[in-house]
Amino acid sequence: MITQVANPILEIHDLTVSYDQSPVLWNVDLSLPPGQLIGVLGPNGAGKSTLIKSVMGLVPPTSGHILIFGKELNSVRSKISYVPQRESVDWNFPASVLDVVLMGTYGKLGLFKRPGKKEKELSMECLEKVGMQAFFNRQISELSGGQQQRVFIARALAQEADLYLMDEPFAGVDMATETAIFQLLKEMTQEGKTIVVVHHDIHSAMNYFDWLIMLNLHLVASGPKNEVATEELLRKTYGGKLNLLSKVSELIRQTDFNPLKS
Amino acid sequence: MMSFDPNAFLIISTASLIAISCGLLGVFMMLRKMSMTGDAISHAVLPGIVIGFFISGSQRGLEVIIGAGILGILATLMIDWFRKKAKVQLDASIGITFTLLFAIGIILINVLAYKVDLDQECVLYGEIAYLPIDLWITGSGMNLGPRITWLAVLNLILVLGFIVSLFKELSLTSFDEGFSLVIGLPAGAINLALMSMVSYTTVSSFEAVGAILVVALLVVPPATAFLWTKKLIPLIKITAGLGVIISIIGYYFAYWLDSSIAGMMVSVSGVIFLASAILKSKKPNFKFGTKIADKPFSI
Repeated sequence: MITQVANPILEIHDLTVSYDQSPVLWNVDLSLPPGQLIGVLGPNGAGKSTLIKSVMGLVPPTSGHILIFGKELNSVRSKISYVPQRESVDWNFPASVLDVVLMGTYGKLGLFKRPGKKEKELSMECLEKVGMQAFFNRQISELSGGQQQRVFIARALAQEADLYLMDEPFAGVDMATETAIFQLLKEMTQEGKTIVVVHHDIHSAMNYFDWLIMLNLHLVASGPKNEVATEELLRKTYGGKLNLLSKVSELIRQTDFNPLKS
Repeated sequence: MMSFDPNAFLIISTASLIAISCGLLGVFMMLRKMSMTGDAISHAVLPGIVIGFFISGSQRGLEVIIGAGILGILATLMIDWFRKKAKVQLDASIGITFTLLFAIGIILINVLAYKVDLDQECVLYGEIAYLPIDLWITGSGMNLGPRITWLAVLNLILVLGFIVSLFKELSLTSFDEGFSLVIGLPAGAINLALMSMVSYTTVSSFEAVGAILVVALLVVPPATAFLWTKKLIPLIKITAGLGVIISIIGYYFAYWLDSSIAGMMVSVSGVIFLASAILKSKKPNFKFGTKIADKPFSI
């Protein structure tokens, strides 16, 4: 159940990614419409983060190619924003909350230039949007997990991009904050921004997203929520994961089966 | 009361300059969790020094610094390659790289010994006490003062210029390399530039403090300062201040015991680190109870 769109903001063609010899994403082919809040769902190890990372050029694809706004990544970097997983950095780093949010403006500043008053004001606005303005002078080592996550979201907002890719931005964030941030993201999509969020919780996903991508090593579904949020597709995404894996390895053993071609 | 001794002043100020240069770079090495890469670089530059020395015929030549710089970058690339491509752990790949390059350096010294007036002792230990008699005399015979002090001044100016102009990039790539790649900052190039500065600083300092003790100046003052502050700018300032303090105390202790000045500087910095670590581990937590509650918010 894969819906392709005309004039996509992001298109992924035949993407296969593998770490060492084992593939983590198989033959993903999808296109995404602009101005939508898009959720990426799937069990652990389904390749959700890998999908985001390969769009951002952080993971080299084994095959396939990706177009953003119809162009290669390098020419549109300033229009894309990225929220990595919180665990990807060491929060003991000597920086204040404002310092980290300011990093979001570095891409537009370019080499050698220092952030000035304009960048600081923008960063404070972004902190306000995630409810962290009172903490701007706090050292990041003194934040809780949920607060760190909000700082990362604020940094992404400071990038002032058109496409946002967020890797589990709600891990460790309390319900009230999650709702508030989802509302904020919703407002951003109304302004024409596109937001792709890797998400864990199926229930809240059903409430908030307009479009869903369901992954489990291969692409199970990509389409408007109303069409793809069926029990059958969810079961295909989440259920019988072990079953699926054993079936695949059996197939490979039995025949000269090449999953990359099918 | 000790009278003003111009030699003491020269040695202390040169040692301070070197300690500050090393400390400033050391802060970023520590934040990148690459302090031991600094160690590796300081040893791995040996073959570069020998080859540069062999080509230029003097240890003052630009070739020496270029040779060392190339070897420093080579060491960084080798460590990276072993880790990423050959899947060797970081500590093991550091160990393999710098011992290999250092060993090549020793063999080169032995092979070229009859042509090169350079011995391991000089490279490994240095001697800052000879500084006042090693003068920079121009072609016309003008005496411009101690050569090593000039080298240290130049080194500090370049290190300062490097850090000031790339401060934003250095801190971002140290904190979140992935994000810096995403926004299009050349993280790899900035990393190599930092490693080149470390190589150059090592070479510029080795005559004074030697390749082994220069590592301590890269690692210990930043680590000590990090015990006292969690902010980047104060961290850099305390590191620089510590560089001056260990130079002063180190000099007078060495004078008093008639021992190696560089050795005493490093011992002093070690003692300061130890004292800081003990003090910090016993410090009561005054902040407890004043934490701002993490309230959810609404729009």
